[in-house]
Amino acid sequence: MDPHPVQLVVEDDLRRSRLTVFFRLLLAIPHIVWLSLWTLLAALLAVVTWLVTLIAGRPPAGLHRFMCAYVRYQVHLSSYLALAANPYPPFDGRKGEYPIDVTLPAPGAQSRWKTLVRLFLAMPALLLASAFGGSGGSRNSGSLVTACAALGWFASLVRGRMPKGLRDAGAYGIGYGAQVLAYLLFVTDRYPNADPTALLAGVERPPEHPVRLVGDAHDVRRSRLTVFFRILLVLPHLYWLVLWSVVAVLVAIANWFVTLARGTPAAPLHRFLSSFVRYRLHVYAFLYLAANPFPGFTGRAGSYPLDLELPAPGRQSRWKTGFRIVLVLPAAIVDAGLGSGLFVAGVLTWFVALVKGSAPWGLRNLMAYALRYDAQVNAYGLLLTDAYPHASPLEGAATRANAFDGAA
Amino acid sequence: MSARIAGRAALLAALAAVWSVAAYFLWRSQVPSSLQLPHVEVRHLFSAAQLRAASSFGRFTTLDWALAELAQLAVFGLYAWRGARFTRESAAGPIGTGMLLGMIGFALVWISQLPFDFAGLWWERRHHLTHVGYVAHAFGNWLALGSQFVFLCLALVIVMGFARLVGGWWWLPAAPLFVGLAALSAFVTPYLLSTHRLQDVQLQAQARVLERTEHVQHTPIVVEPVHDVTELPNAEATGLGPSRRVVLWDTLLDGRFTDRELRVVIAHELGHLERQHLWKDIGWYALLAFPGAFLIARVTRRRGGMGRPEAVPLALLAIVVLDLLALPLQNAISRHMEAEADWEALQATRDPAAATALFKRFVSTTLDEPAPSTWEYLVLENHPTIEQRIAMAEAWRRYATSAAQSP
Repeated sequence: MDPHPVQLVVEDDLRRSRLTVFFRLLLAIPHIVWLSLWTLLAALLAVVTWLVTLIAGRPPAGLHRFMCAYVRYQVHLSSYLALAANPYPPFDGRKGEYPIDVTLPAPGAQSRWKTLVRLFLAMPALLLASAFGGSGGSRNSGSLVTACAALGWFASLVRGRMPKGLRDAGAYGIGYGAQVLAYLLFVTDRYPNADPTALLAGVERPPEHPVRLVGDAHDVRRSRLTVFFRILLVLPHLYWLVLWSVVAVLVAIANWFVTLARGTPAAPLHRFLSSFVRYRLHVYAFLYLAANPFPGFTGRAGSYPLDLELPAPGRQSRWKTGFRIVLVLPAAIVDAGLGSGLFVAGVLTWFVALVKGSAPWGLRNLMAYALRYDAQVNAYGLLLTDAYPHASPLEGAATRANAFDGAA
Repeated sequence: MSARIAGRAALLAALAAVWSVAAYFLWRSQVPSSLQLPHVEVRHLFSAAQLRAASSFGRFTTLDWALAELAQLAVFGLYAWRGARFTRESAAGPIGTGMLLGMIGFALVWISQLPFDFAGLWWERRHHLTHVGYVAHAFGNWLALGSQFVFLCLALVIVMGFARLVGGWWWLPAAPLFVGLAALSAFVTPYLLSTHRLQDVQLQAQARVLERTEHVQHTPIVVEPVHDVTELPNAEATGLGPSRRVVLWDTLLDGRFTDRELRVVIAHELGHLERQHLWKDIGWYALLAFPGAFLIARVTRRRGGMGRPEAVPLALLAIVVLDLLALPLQNAISRHMEAEADWEALQATRDPAAATALFKRFVSTTLDEPAPSTWEYLVLENHPTIEQRIAMAEAWRRYATSAAQSP
């Protein structure tokens, strides 16, 4: 499949100026005012572009240039606000001048049918962009980009650097928003692609995390019948998961004492909690249609197409163990931000899978990302590892080919 | 070979004898066996318009029920034939896969029943018996639907778990377990109802008297608010031991029924408790569960037995067919107990006129047919007909009169 014509370009070096980070919202006020005016004009011109594209079959060059500049400016400003980039952005959305940028296509022929119903077609993508809260989507407080920005603000103030995971996650949300905006404003008629791997193709991978996805990555077939009844079919699993969660919390407390005293988790407790984390992944993968088959009830390794590799019990820092419940909170906030994206992706997949009998590759990979991060947060919180969850949508750089990070 | 057959026949005869003795004890009733119900001419008790309305309402609901049953049988039949293919959609092992197949079967039936549910609802709305909207009707009770799915899974875990442990004899340990679950459900159900205490002081005092008369003192009489969803009046005796109570729907207390009629209702429900009908219900369930489970075990042998998930669709079909076949028997048992509760109510209130008035009012408030056709009576009526209930009130009056006159 051809790469999407709207590509994110990330040349950010993660360094941040503490001073501008501290005053970031205040400094952005002129930009926000300017963006409002620009948005008003863009909305009016979008109607003109729509009519011309409908008649001529391609957007006029001048209007296309204007829309490209607008999309680019949205990306620059969103990146600045979300701390995905450091420098103060230019006001004109110029190309190639900002560390987080987008490449946009030249004006080309567009399908008149897709143009006619563009607003309607864009609804699902807008919904997803809204859940991320990047450019083009609303900046709701529970979104991924907002969560990354808020946490990145503290981290950048302390360290003078933006954590790579938060930067990548924020950039992903912004990049997807840019694709949606470009689609909505007739810059391209190619539908936005939520696949994190494709969106961040040029971005360096993070180090490999001990908690990672394994299994059959290309299992996108979905049974329409079990998709239709998915909510009902998952009910026994949800009940079972609740019961298991209660026990897991008690076991985790015991594991905390053991790990604090010995520096290593107790093997039986580690085994139990590993099964719990894996089972949770299976259930959510089934619920959100990231995987097809009805999962087992035991969280057995290798029993599900979307599975989890977890580390064996190993030495853990006692400091990190002692303060684990506090340390896990930032990751839990990002997890919640991703959760809304996961939910929307699951709902959209439901409709697509009912019609096509398969899950869209992009949404499926987005869900795999959200589920992987959720599993990393759980594994960290339940003391299976002291490796902090990595928020990057990209799977860690592997020494071997990683099944869940390739293109279809 | 013949010895084996003879042995089996003897065992079957012994089991049939045990079953019959148990059924005899459960069937015993306080209604005098010599009681003859007098003939009641419904045309003299109800206006032609009332009878026409009840008959028209009943015709539609019966047709709707019959079509729904046919659809259910068709869906389960198709599912028994083709459903095993869904095993490939599971990664959950044999029991988990069986659960999946069970849930898919239930879900398909739920969908297939929706049109008939909607038709029934439309009919009830047309007759002002309910105010529930169509969407609320279909999707408003997710909790109950979800509970059904969870219970189904639990049942399959029990059956398949035993089948994998003891093979074709699973029904022997599973049936008592299901009876235990039925008893637990009967015990817990009252605690799950949203009710409040009866506010009417006068009715409360009358209920206390009736409790003493019927030897079921300290039985809470509670009210369940249902007027938001239905206009139908109803009441039930529920619970076992400490959880037992009488539940009156608030539609009974909206002024359509007199205090004397309400007394009869309460006495009837207390009669159920006095005669231990909830325990008897469980007893009958046990008597039907053993042969039912045995038959399912036999039927599913051709699919490898209940230890295999492929047998689940066939088992669902078998359950539905058996349930349908047992319906006349279940209705007869229910009618028998309801008649006994009516008799207890008459004995406690000694007010056949109020009972007659109550039963007559049911025709206008529930559109119940006073004298349905024989097959409707056998298949659908789990209470005595209005005609029979009025006749029982009259029979009690004669019985009491003759008892008072006898030296």
